[in-house]
Amino acid sequence: MSRQADRVIDAALACWARVGLAKTTLDDVAREAGCSRATVYRHFPGKQPLVAAAIGREADRLSAEVVDAAAPSPTLADAAVAVVTTGARLLMSHGALAFVVTVEPESILPHISFAGGDALLAEVARRIAPAFTPYLAPEHTHRFAEWLARMSLSYLCSAEGHELLDEARVRTLVEDFVLPGFLQGVTR
Amino acid sequence: MAPHGPYHNGGMAQADPLTVRDRLLEATYVCVSRFGLGKTTVEDVVKHSGVSRATVYRHFPGGRDELLRETVAWELARYFTELADHVRDAGTLAEMLERGLVHARASLLGHEVLRKILDTEPERLLPLLSTESARTLPFIAAFLAPYLEREAAAGRLRPGVDIERAADYLARGILSLIGSPGRWDLGDPEQVHELVRSELLGGISA
Repeated sequence: MSRQADRVIDAALACWARVGLAKTTLDDVAREAGCSRATVYRHFPGKQPLVAAAIGREADRLSAEVVDAAAPSPTLADAAVAVVTTGARLLMSHGALAFVVTVEPESILPHISFAGGDALLAEVARRIAPAFTPYLAPEHTHRFAEWLARMSLSYLCSAEGHELLDEARVRTLVEDFVLPGFLQGVTR
Repeated sequence: MAPHGPYHNGGMAQADPLTVRDRLLEATYVCVSRFGLGKTTVEDVVKHSGVSRATVYRHFPGGRDELLRETVAWELARYFTELADHVRDAGTLAEMLERGLVHARASLLGHEVLRKILDTEPERLLPLLSTESARTLPFIAAFLAPYLEREAAAGRLRPGVDIERAADYLARGILSLIGSPGRWDLGDPEQVHELVRSELLGGISA
């Protein structure tokens, strides 16, 4: 992605964090980015392509940071705790996401429910599974990643989402409930 | 008609004679199944239930919005009550969870009104469902707790398992799987057996 396209996405995220998706126009994004509307349009010929590109870039950025956070972990439990707490922290502190979730939740709901939920879990699992290759056989990393993503999504969509920021609580969840089933049957 | 759900009967499932409120909710449900969430009006419900407009507003002062919201809650309660009845007499916790997941997914996939609304007007249903789902999690956990107690008494749980936390964990897994099973095929008994044994009960059963 070009630096200019990157700047446009940064500008869009700043606008969305302030006033949300519906109220942000491409003119607003151009003004925020300090470039012309034509420049914005050249990179992203409409709101939908801009939203799609922003989601893609942020998903890449966040998953890289989550996988990195797990890298120094001595055990699978440590890696799982790192993935969940880092992911939760990044998601809950994301300005544009926080605005949409709080003020325009109807835009998010189709992407976390039913078939949308299936697609989201598959995508998240695909992105974070590499964090577990040092500890699990390859055919089990996706399965483990999906289950962690599923549990995390459940917490984040409930009033208890903040519990995922608490490392001690996440460790108890992982060690008492998530890991034992996996360790019995599926580790290397 | 199936016994009304625990949400409205203080937690006790009983065969109530149909109250006016029940009749209105059922009538609204029928109208929604025919006309959709967007197009169902209070007038439709009046016509279909035979109850006066004044009485409808007395029971649902919030009007159409409240009526639709309560109808979603009503159908959700009916779905879970039916699920609970289906698994209630399972011999073990594992068997209950296996039976429950298979049945829950099959009845969701076979729910014609749900499929139709998800296809045609998901943006109207999902916000209502998501609000009501917040109550569903504790309901499932409360249903599971006595079964976990029974397993503990029989020495079939891992030592030191916190029943309340285990019930919460299982409820989250179940609710998530029913709506979005992801890679799991909940129509395949072998996969369901594996899922229950490892992901769900791995840290809970001895």
